[in-house]
Order: sequence, then C-alpha cells, then structure tokens
Amino acid sequence: MGKTIKIGPFHPELEESVYFKLVADKNSIVQEVEIVNGFIHRGMESLVTNRNFMQNLILTERVCSLCSNNHPFTFVMAVEKIANIKVPSRAEALRVVADEIKRAASNLFNLAMLSHLTHSYELMKDTLETREYLQDLKETIWGNRMDMSVNLFTGVKYDLDAKKVVHILEKLNLAIPKIKELQKRFENDEIIKQRCVGVGILPTEKALEIGVTGPVARGSGINNDVRVKAPYSLYALRPELQPRTKPRNGCDVLSRAMARFDDIIEAVRIIKDLLSDLPRGKTYLEKRPHIPEGEAVVRTEAPRGELIYYLKTDGSQKPIRMRWKVPTYTNWEALKVMILGDKVENVTIILNSIDPCISCTER
Amino acid sequence: MPRVQKKRKFYKDVFVNTSKFIKILRETLGEQCSIKEDKDSYGNHSIWMKLKVKESINVVANSIKSFKGRCIVATAYKNRDGSHTIIYHFDINGTILNVEIKTNDNMFFSITPIIPSANWAEREIREMYGVEPIGHPNTDRLFLDYSIAKGVLNEFIPLSKLQRGVSKTDIMWKKVEEDINNG
Repeated sequence: MGKTIKIGPFHPELEESVYFKLVADKNSIVQEVEIVNGFIHRGMESLVTNRNFMQNLILTERVCSLCSNNHPFTFVMAVEKIANIKVPSRAEALRVVADEIKRAASNLFNLAMLSHLTHSYELMKDTLETREYLQDLKETIWGNRMDMSVNLFTGVKYDLDAKKVVHILEKLNLAIPKIKELQKRFENDEIIKQRCVGVGILPTEKALEIGVTGPVARGSGINNDVRVKAPYSLYALRPELQPRTKPRNGCDVLSRAMARFDDIIEAVRIIKDLLSDLPRGKTYLEKRPHIPEGEAVVRTEAPRGELIYYLKTDGSQKPIRMRWKVPTYTNWEALKVMILGDKVENVTIILNSIDPCISCTER
Repeated sequence: MPRVQKKRKFYKDVFVNTSKFIKILRETLGEQCSIKEDKDSYGNHSIWMKLKVKESINVVANSIKSFKGRCIVATAYKNRDGSHTIIYHFDINGTILNVEIKTNDNMFFSITPIIPSANWAEREIREMYGVEPIGHPNTDRLFLDYSIAKGVLNEFIPLSKLQRGVSKTDIMWKKVEEDINNG
C-alpha cells in the first residue's frame, strides 16, 4: 500500500522553497515524484525590459546571492559583444579572480549543507570556518560578503595593488591545507559514505539526455565545463588557467560533492596562478559605450554549471528581450531520476546534491 | 599528447563536427533555412539559423540528437505584428546553435519528445506567452499559479504606467474616482 508524503514548500531541511509530492511503498521507497515550484517567481525577465542597461547591471547582481557575480559578469559580456568592445586584459583577469573566489565559497557552502543534512555537525562547522577565509577576502577586497559589485561595461570597478595581492595569497595559503583536509574527511567519513554512496544515482546516459551541467554533470562522468568547452574571458586568452578537473564516475551524491571539491581546489589554483602574473594596464575603458541594435548569446561557468544569457537590443537604452538560463533549470529535471527508487529519507540530501538555486531558476 | 596539441585537436574536431552538421542541414532543408556563422572575440563559434517553416524544427532537432547535442534553453518574444519569435539555443560539443522560428497562430511543435532537455524551456514559453508547444509530454504549469492567465508576459503593464493610471486595467482608479464623486 503506497503512502503519500509531502515535503515543503517550507521545511527545515530545504534550502529554499519548493514542494515535493512523493508516493512511497511500505519500505519507504519513492515510487512517484512530483515537484511543484514557482513560489518565488518574480517576473525579472519582464522587469529588465523596463530598466536601462545600467540599472540591469545592478538588478542582475540581485537575481541570486551565491552566484551573484556570474549574472552581471555574463550580462556585461553580452552587452560588450553587441557593442563590439574589447575589454583590457587586466580587467578580464580581475573578473576571473572575483569569479573563482565566488565559486570556491559557493561550493563550500553547499558542502557545509551536506554535512548539516547528515548531521555531521563537527564537519559542518569546519567547512563553514574554512569558507570564512574566502568570505573575509570578499569583505576585505570588495567590501561585501555576497554582492561584490565587480563588473562594469568595459571593465571592472576594483583593482588590486601589491599589498592586496599579498593579502589574498596569504589567506589562500591558509585555506588550502584546510580544504584538502576537508576533502579527505568528506571522502572517508563513515556517516557521509553511508548517506551518500550509491544514493541519488544519475546515470551518465540520463545526464546527457537531460542536459545537466556543472558539478552535477561532472559527478556523472560528463565534463561540459564552459571554461574548457567554449572558453571565455581570460580562460580563452590564457588556456593554462582552464580547470584541469576530471569527471567523477560514481553518479551519486558523493561524486557530486567530490566534483565540487575538485572545483574548489582548481579555483584556488587559478587565482594563485593569475595573481602571480597579473596583466598590467587599465581596469576599464573610459569611453562610455554605445549599445547598438543587435543580439548576442553568451555563457559562463557559474558555481553550479552553465549560465547563458540571450540579449536583444534595438539601439535604445533598454533591452528588447533578455533571457537567462541557470544551471538548476536543467539540473532540476534530473532530480526526478535521482529520487525515484530511492528512500524518502534521502530526498533532501539528493536535492542538496544538485545545489539548487531556486531564486535563480524562477527569476 | 601535450596540452596545446590536445586543445588544437579538440577545436579541429568541433569545427569538423559543426561544418558537417551545417552541411547536412543545408542539404535537407535547402532554401527553407538561412544560416549565419558568428565568432566572438575569444574565438568561439556560434551559428544563427532562421527557419522559414516552423515545422522544420523537427528536422533540426533530429540532427542535433544524432550529433549528441542538447538544448540549453529557448527564448521567446512577442513581435509588434502579434506573432511570436522563438529561438532555441542548442549546444553541440561547445558550439552554440541558435535556431529561430516564427509563429503566427500561437502554437509550435514541441521537440521535447526528441530532445528531452528542451522540456522546461517549452513549458515556460507556453506559460509566459500563451504559445502552445504541440506534443509536449507535460501539460502542468511550471512556475506560475493556475490563477494567472497563460501568456502573462504578453499583457505586462509596467508599474510606472499603472501608477499614472493610464493602463487598460484602471479599475482601481475608477473605484477611487467613484468614491471621491460620491463624497
């Protein structure tokens, strides 16, 4: 006899608001899954067509907090493509530094949530403490712990002098051994293994069919990292900066968590490499750009995967159409594959393994 | 193989794949499509394709499937003449393919049965613009509640207009005026 279980839209173990309707058998194995979303839809795609480009730069930074740098980063790249602007290479480098810091911090937050869901509170505390090195850096360099306000059309708003570079490197050198130690603990912790190995399976062929990206794809043996497949910014200009992560083949919650660790370690390596040889020159172009009629599609690799922006302009100060797709948009459908046939108690841990950003997805 | 050589080989493969793909589509669709190639300042290729007949999207979807491509997302917008433009954004091994179709009758043919990654994108177009993806396996709402009419983005009224009381739905202002007139 099947029983119906409802989780959400607000629940202590859910990161954000979403509603699950599950039908489970007598052994608590999920037989049917229905996911209802739309609780935080804000009509942002409509809103941006009523704001000018400058206002939209501020608005895109507020689509979501964890990947708040990626939205304006991708948006300015789309505008720059239409306006045919070549950004100074120092600005490209500074954009990448900010982006990789955000990536490492975002992934560490997700891993902390994983340890929270497995009730490994010591591990959670240590993960969040390690993340604090990055949060402190954000606060010191950019003046804010979440919205860093880095991007401008034609460049960036901040610069790094020798003192700041040394400060970042010192903090990262403190964080690296802690990150590596955490990786070992996550990989070998008995409770984590018990809860994560063989749980929330997303087979490679299904992952390809659904079109998942980011650590979710890399946890299922697919590497479609935009920084490698279609490099942009400094990843294109200096290919040695591209991440060297290898996909994991476990297809389960632990593989996805480990793919996130790989991303964090590579993010730190990229920042260190970049800071040791930071391009000189201007951080932005002084001439204010004219944005002509045109359309562009630009994508970047956000912490959770591929972020794509479509922009259509008519030569006025406002876009005709602006559309963006975040990684969770496609990763979400994969949840149905992961949850079906698994235990009800694993649902929230599986949800966390795609690092859902519902605020981004629903816009 | 050294890293630089590997990278060159990768780009060569991608280029061969996309060239082959375009050739096949040109042969199959003939004059039913126009193709434009684009390259950004970082050297990434993208293809812009316009289909004259919206039904041809199935041919494109089947080709993309055979090249192991995926649908990243689809964009829709309403034109001044009341028609809708839909642009599918596909990915074939790192190359973006943008395929544009136009619909005058508020419907288009769903490619989700061929490429499942188009699932949410088509549902969202249905919900926001009231344009029906015929043959889509899921008829449920994606984001918006059932109390909100389909095609809400077609009817959007900016807040500034509403505040000036010049919108078509100025019921609230009429009520205020009535109350004032009635003392």
